[in-house]
Amino acid sequence: MSPNMNATYKRVVTFLWTILWASVALHSPSLAQTSHGTDVAVVVNSDTPVADLSLSEVRKVMLGERQYWSSKLPVVLLIRAPAARERDVVLRVIYQMSEAQFKQYWVAKIFRAEAASPPRIVYSNDMQYELLTALPGAIAFVDSRNIRPGVKVLRVDGHLPGEKDYPLR
Amino acid sequence: MRRRLPVLVGLMIFAAGAARAQTAPDQTEQIRILLERVQQLEKRVGELETKTVAAAVPTAEAAAPVPAAPKPEMAEAAPAPAPMHQHEQTESQATTRQLEARYPSLQIRGFGEVNFSATDQRSAISGFNLGQLDLHLASALSHKVTYFGELTFNAQSAGYTLEVERSIIRYDYNDFFKLSFGRYHTPIGYWNTAFHHGAWLQTTISRPEMIRFGGTFIPVHFLGVLAEGNIPSGGVGLSYNAGVGNGRGFPINRPGDAGDNNNNRAWVANLYSRPAKLYGLQMGVSVYRDKITLPVNPAGNEFREWISAAHIVWTKETPEFLAEFANVNHRNILTNAITNNQAYYAQIAYRLPWLERTLKPYYRFEHTHTPLSEQVFTNLNLVQSIVGMRYDITNYASFKGEYRNFKRLPTDPRVNGAFFQTDFTF
Repeated sequence: MSPNMNATYKRVVTFLWTILWASVALHSPSLAQTSHGTDVAVVVNSDTPVADLSLSEVRKVMLGERQYWSSKLPVVLLIRAPAARERDVVLRVIYQMSEAQFKQYWVAKIFRAEAASPPRIVYSNDMQYELLTALPGAIAFVDSRNIRPGVKVLRVDGHLPGEKDYPLR
Repeated sequence: MRRRLPVLVGLMIFAAGAARAQTAPDQTEQIRILLERVQQLEKRVGELETKTVAAAVPTAEAAAPVPAAPKPEMAEAAPAPAPMHQHEQTESQATTRQLEARYPSLQIRGFGEVNFSATDQRSAISGFNLGQLDLHLASALSHKVTYFGELTFNAQSAGYTLEVERSIIRYDYNDFFKLSFGRYHTPIGYWNTAFHHGAWLQTTISRPEMIRFGGTFIPVHFLGVLAEGNIPSGGVGLSYNAGVGNGRGFPINRPGDAGDNNNNRAWVANLYSRPAKLYGLQMGVSVYRDKITLPVNPAGNEFREWISAAHIVWTKETPEFLAEFANVNHRNILTNAITNNQAYYAQIAYRLPWLERTLKPYYRFEHTHTPLSEQVFTNLNLVQSIVGMRYDITNYASFKGEYRNFKRLPTDPRVNGAFFQTDFTF
C-alpha cells in the first residue's frame, strides 16, 4: 500500500470512529435532555411571601428541611407523577436522586418524624394549577412553556426561566 | 484484508447502534414524548375552549381581552385562567378536594425482617429468627400539630412482646422552633435517629454495637420534652435538638417510662450542620448528662454520666460514609472515681452502577472499649469487622448477606459468622 493510500485509510478510519462516537453521544439520554430540554419553572401560590430562592434553598424546601414560608403558612409540596419531564428535572437537579432513592428518602423522612406526609403527586398540568391556586403555600414545577396566569414564578439563583444561567433544565 | 477489518467492525457497530436506536427505543423517552404531546393537546383544548367561551358570552363580556400567555415574571399579576368545561371543572375540583389536607390524617407503615445466622462460636445456635415487626404511625392533627408513634412486636422464646418504641406529639411554631413531648430515640449521634427500627432503611443487617437496641453504652430511648429546629446560619445549615427527660432507668438500658427512678432529670443537646454547598454531608456533636442510680453497692451506687459524641456522614450512595464516636464518662459520686468508655464505628458503602443499581457492597469497622475499673457497665469490649452486600429486590425490599469477624476479650478467640437478612417496608 502506497503512503497516500495509507493516509486516506487513516482518515477514513478516523472519520468512521468520529461518527460512531457522535452517534453514541447523541443517543445518550442525559445529553439529549440537556440539549433539547426546556426550562422548568418553580411556581408558587400567588400569596406566598417569596420571590427569589437560591437552588440550595429550593432543595431545602423540597427535602422538607424548610417546612414553613412563614409561621402561619406551611409549605405544601407538589410534584408531578413519574415519567413527567418536570419530575425528572426535579429529581436530577434538586434531589440528585433516582426514583428509588426519592421514594426511600420520603419513607425515611416520615419514619424519622421529620415530616407528616410526602409531596403530593399531581398527574397533569391542570391538576397542578388547580392545587397551586387552591392551596396556600403550594410550590410546584412547571414546564416554562406552559406557565399560566394566577401563580407566581420564582427566580432561582436570581434567574427566571429562559435566562442563560437558569439552573432547572 | 487485515487493514479493512477495523473499518468493517466500526461500520458494523455503527449500524448495530443505529438499528438498536430505531428498533428498541427507550420506553421512558416514549412516555415523555407522549406526555409532552398530552400537554400540547391540553393547551390546544384550553385555547379552543377559550375561543368557544369568548364567542358564546354576551358582547359586553366578549369585549374583555382574553389573557395572553404571560411572561414568567408577569404571571403573578395576570388574571385567572380560562374556564374549563363544567364536568372537567367538577372533576378537577373533586381531585383538588381529595388532595387538600384533612385532619387527623393517619398513615401507617410497617417494617419487617427475617434473619438467618451461623457462627463458629462455641455454644452459639445457628438458625432463623423473625426479628422485629415494626409499625410506624404518623398523623397530622392540624397543620401545626403532628403525632408520631412506633410499635414493635419482638419474637421471644415464650411468645411475642409488644414495645412502644416512640410516641411523640409535636407542636410546630415554625422551622426554628418545634416542641414535642413523649418517648424518643435519644438524639445522640446520627444512627439512632436516622434509622430507628427500620432495618430496611439501613444499609447493613444490624446497628453498630454502641447503639444496639437493648444495649447500654448509649441510652437509646429518652422520655421527656424535646425542642428542635433550624438555626438561621445561611449556607452552614445548622439545626439543633435540646431535651429534658427522665434519663436512664433501671435496668440502665430502659428510659424510665413509668417514672424517674432517682428524681433527677437528664438533658441532651445535639447540634448538627448540613452545609448547603456539600449536599449529602452532615456533621454534628452531642452531649448528654444524667445521674445513674444502681442497686445498693458498698462502693457507692450513684454516678454522674457525661456522654459526648460526634458524627460525620455522607449520605449519597456513591459512596456512602458514616462514622460516629462517643465517650461515656462515669464519676462515682461517693468516691469520685472516674472512668471513660469509648466506642466508634466507620462504615463505607458504594451503590454499584450495574444491574439497575441494585447492589451495594459495604464494610464496617467498630470498636468498643470499657476499662477494667468501670462500675456502671459490664464489659462491652468489642473489635468487629463486617463486610457484606445489599441487594435491593424492589424499591421496598432488600436482601443482605454479611460476613462478620469479631472478638470481645483479649483472651477470647476470634469469632467468624455468616448473617443473612431479608427486610422490607409495607
